[in-house]
Amino acid sequence: MKKLTSITAIFLVIPLSGCVTATVEGDREETTGLLEGQSVVVMAKSYHQGNETEADYISCVEKALGRGSTGLKVIPNQLFIDNLFPWFEPRTAPADTKGLVTLMERPGVPAAVKRMGVRYIVWLDGGTERVTQGGSLSCAAGPGGGGCFGFAWWQDDADYEASIWDLEDSEAAGTITADYTGTSFLPALVVPIPLIARTQSKACGGLAKQLRTFIVGDGAA
Amino acid sequence: MIVTQQLKHSFILISLFAAGCASNVTVDQPTIPTPHIEKLPMDVAIRIPAEFHNFVHEENVLGKETWTINLGSANAVFFTQLFGYMFENVIVLGPNDNALDYTFDALVEPKIEGFEFSVPNQSKTDAFAVWIRYRMQVFDSAGNSASTWTVSAYGKSQKEGLGGSKSLQRAAVLAMRDAAALILLQMNKATKMASLADGPISLEKLVSSGATNNAINEMDSTPVGIFAIGGIDEETN
Repeated sequence: MKKLTSITAIFLVIPLSGCVTATVEGDREETTGLLEGQSVVVMAKSYHQGNETEADYISCVEKALGRGSTGLKVIPNQLFIDNLFPWFEPRTAPADTKGLVTLMERPGVPAAVKRMGVRYIVWLDGGTERVTQGGSLSCAAGPGGGGCFGFAWWQDDADYEASIWDLEDSEAAGTITADYTGTSFLPALVVPIPLIARTQSKACGGLAKQLRTFIVGDGAA
Repeated sequence: MIVTQQLKHSFILISLFAAGCASNVTVDQPTIPTPHIEKLPMDVAIRIPAEFHNFVHEENVLGKETWTINLGSANAVFFTQLFGYMFENVIVLGPNDNALDYTFDALVEPKIEGFEFSVPNQSKTDAFAVWIRYRMQVFDSAGNSASTWTVSAYGKSQKEGLGGSKSLQRAAVLAMRDAAALILLQMNKATKMASLADGPISLEKLVSSGATNNAINEMDSTPVGIFAIGGIDEETN
């Protein structure tokens, strides 16, 4: 009985993982690389253009890019936006590299970019959404105890695109797309056993790994 | 004694339920980063209206949730800082200050024309959004209405935590920052106020542009009398 309780406790504390399928594709337009002291900044495409990329996804990619001994130097995006105010606000940020060329000719802008050492801007577009769900689960509690019975499942789709701009040449370096689909299950026989697919988190790790490879080559991945 | 205690507990419970249906958001004074723009070489006075020192917006959402957004003096601080970045010299006037006592090339009177927001329940998304509409009335140094410009700003922030107060607060700050970007980059283009540094609008131009006679008559008798009236809604540029 004690053993069963321990196993149940493990299920409750460490949720098992659901299944996630992933497709990551890259499209390179120019050669890339980072010199000593150069950095990257990760930005969300403007919500004025209908983009809904989650703030926590942006910070996840920022952290993942900078993690480890081969991590890139990442400038926090709010610092970059503040230092270049008002040119990277949701309303004013360049929508394409043509706008970037014009922006880089404005007084004070190239100097501010150089001061921060930013070589690449990674523009993130997309989001994670629940595409389908089903099943039924009910829980009840009484004086003698409680429990759940049933089975529920849901599917999340994380679809992101990263456009990499090279600020040195004011050109697009390429794009990476990441499409992750995860299905989570929640069977319950007295105790619910969550099998959660961490779709967004996986999409973050996968895209960051691919971005790192794209920018500095296989040695950094 | 027991009855009193029961009443007390009931009151606490009722208060807790009532509190669950009302949210108060206080917006901290926003800070605008130093912009990468060149200041306009002119002396500008800005009249901060009384509502900019204590702006509170209350709205009942879908008949069940009441949201109160207290911007406090955020707008007063915001416009003072913004104009300091835009113009060489800025004079800040209070609602009761007499513009006659000051010398300037242009006077700007901003006001809040509209404030709206949406919460996730309404928009069926995970985001809070805030819209602020400012109206900027520009006068020349003689008190003639030079132009009126409406600035529509928008801020959006995704829901964080349970209540969403922080997200709504952030959306409001982002909307003000959006207004700042728009005003910095477009105000001179929209109002042509830099031309006022060369002197007030000529009488011929005022007549040809069809400015109200009231404004001209007012100018003839008391040059800056219009400052006391304010809110004239014609464009002469």
